[in-house]
Amino acid sequence: MNKTQKWILWAVLLTILALYPIVFGIYYSNVFVTFAIFALFAVTLNLLLGYTGLLSFGHAMFFGTGGYGTAIALEHIEGLPLLPAVLIGVLAAVALALILCPIMVRVSGTAFAMLHLAFGQLMYVLALKLRVITGGEDGVGGFPIPPFSIPGILSIDMTNPLNFYYFAIAVLGLSIWFIWYFTKTPLGSVMVSVRDNDNRVAYMGFMVPQTKAIIYVLAAAFAGVAGSIYALFQNLIAAGDGFHILVSFAPIMMVMVGGIGSFFGPIMGAAIFGIIEELTSRYTERVELVMGLILILVIMFAPLGFLGFLRYIKERWFGKRPDMTTTEDVA
Amino acid sequence: MDPTTAMYVAQGIHGLAYGMVLFLVASGLTLIFGMMGILNLAHASFFMLAAYFCYQALTITGNFWLALLLAPVAAALLGILVERFLLRKVHAFGHIGELILTIGVSLVILEGVKVFWGTESLPLRVPPILQGLVSIGGLDYPIYRLFVIGLALVVLGIMALLLYKTRLGMVVRAAVSDANMVNALGVNVPLVFMFVFGVGTWMAGVAGVAIAPILTVFPGLADQMGMDAFIVVVTGGLGSIARAFLVSIIFGLLSSYGVQFVSTLAPVLMFIFMAIVLVIKPMGLFGERE
Repeated sequence: MNKTQKWILWAVLLTILALYPIVFGIYYSNVFVTFAIFALFAVTLNLLLGYTGLLSFGHAMFFGTGGYGTAIALEHIEGLPLLPAVLIGVLAAVALALILCPIMVRVSGTAFAMLHLAFGQLMYVLALKLRVITGGEDGVGGFPIPPFSIPGILSIDMTNPLNFYYFAIAVLGLSIWFIWYFTKTPLGSVMVSVRDNDNRVAYMGFMVPQTKAIIYVLAAAFAGVAGSIYALFQNLIAAGDGFHILVSFAPIMMVMVGGIGSFFGPIMGAAIFGIIEELTSRYTERVELVMGLILILVIMFAPLGFLGFLRYIKERWFGKRPDMTTTEDVA
Repeated sequence: MDPTTAMYVAQGIHGLAYGMVLFLVASGLTLIFGMMGILNLAHASFFMLAAYFCYQALTITGNFWLALLLAPVAAALLGILVERFLLRKVHAFGHIGELILTIGVSLVILEGVKVFWGTESLPLRVPPILQGLVSIGGLDYPIYRLFVIGLALVVLGIMALLLYKTRLGMVVRAAVSDANMVNALGVNVPLVFMFVFGVGTWMAGVAGVAIAPILTVFPGLADQMGMDAFIVVVTGGLGSIARAFLVSIIFGLLSSYGVQFVSTLAPVLMFIFMAIVLVIKPMGLFGERE
């Protein structure tokens, strides 16, 4: 693909995103914001799971910390502008990651997963029990949503769903783009080699624990962005949506359903989950039953996820040999 | 005995009973997750399912002992079906495949239970012989909790005998340490693993029946217990019944005394304990480095 084609694609994508709420209306643009939040969340988990080979059962703690950080800051600090509020949420998630990473970079495999389970549940119980700060089961809600403003130039009301759509899509899209860019940097390549053979990477003179720590903090920071936008979007963050174990499992399922083999798999997975939830909740109350059956079917019959399934069809029916260059992202 | 000591002893008995039930669930999980390396998040769902089976058997037959016998076996049969037709096929994809599959299975079981039995909590009456209190050394103990402790000890004994004193147990231990080798020696390893999975699920079922009269039967039963059981298995270091026993008892006592002394933070204590253990020894409390 040459440069002109790339620019045209970008322009088309941006136009679609800009026109989407006007064409489909507010309800579907809210559905889209939810999808975008979970797409970013799943992409950050894929940074750990797909790229670095670290399975985390507690990724929700960064999502929740980001959400609670923003919500609590807006509740207590009067007149706090929008972007600093998001930044406080992100910094809270980063702080948590910085506290945990000296421990986490030393372990891998099951211990890594289970330590995250432990700390994730710890955060969940703390969010439930420290009622003075977190509001217990009710969570923090009803905080003021400040307008997006550049002093003296403009001030956009964020309680208007249409304006919030553009703001959220811009922040989430930029975050996803930044992570994509990061995977193409030399550090991103080192990250993939850490997954494939960390001993060898260490022999080559790269510092494995430090690399892992940088990726870990990065993943946590953007999970914090997702959580922060979620809190602003719902105007509420509660222990159930922020820290629950199923919030940790959701991105893992999205990564698997979309396809663990690529950067865009998790986004696809988030889209598939969003569509399924939207459709099933219209016809039946047993959304979780459908979800469970789909998970079983996916793992039984399309274990490489949706993208893997597409690749298989391409290979099978269009007679092309699997393109080796497309496996550069994640094998 | 003065009231303070009596209180301590009573809390101790409560903790012991909870620890024992936890041990029943966790020891099944030790077999499945710790020994066979199958990440089974649906384990606690079978635990809950057995409680519902027990309720159903009790309403049909009216005999608690029969329900105690039948419900875990029914749960175990279902577990074997899941292992044979679903789990075995995704074992090649490692823990993530099993994670997705067993989350799916647990969601299906949870929703199925809600369809068949509804969402309200169903009370379960124990036979008169297990009701009431018994007085030992000037203190009153609820008989049912003592019964639960005894039941868990019996199951522990059976398991220990089976694993360490029979030929079958020997084959299981060998298959766990090197499945390929045992397979090459002419043992049907998949069959052995299916059996082990069934036994593990059966133990979860026994625990489900044991806890049902204390907590009543409701769909949320699986959540708490499943998480706790995982923590026990991981904290103890994967793959030993004896360690799972010890850690279960520690956790049971931790939770009952925790409620008494730092009531708001009691649910956190287990996670803190686990985190501390794993930070110091990533392979678990008694685990050895691989």
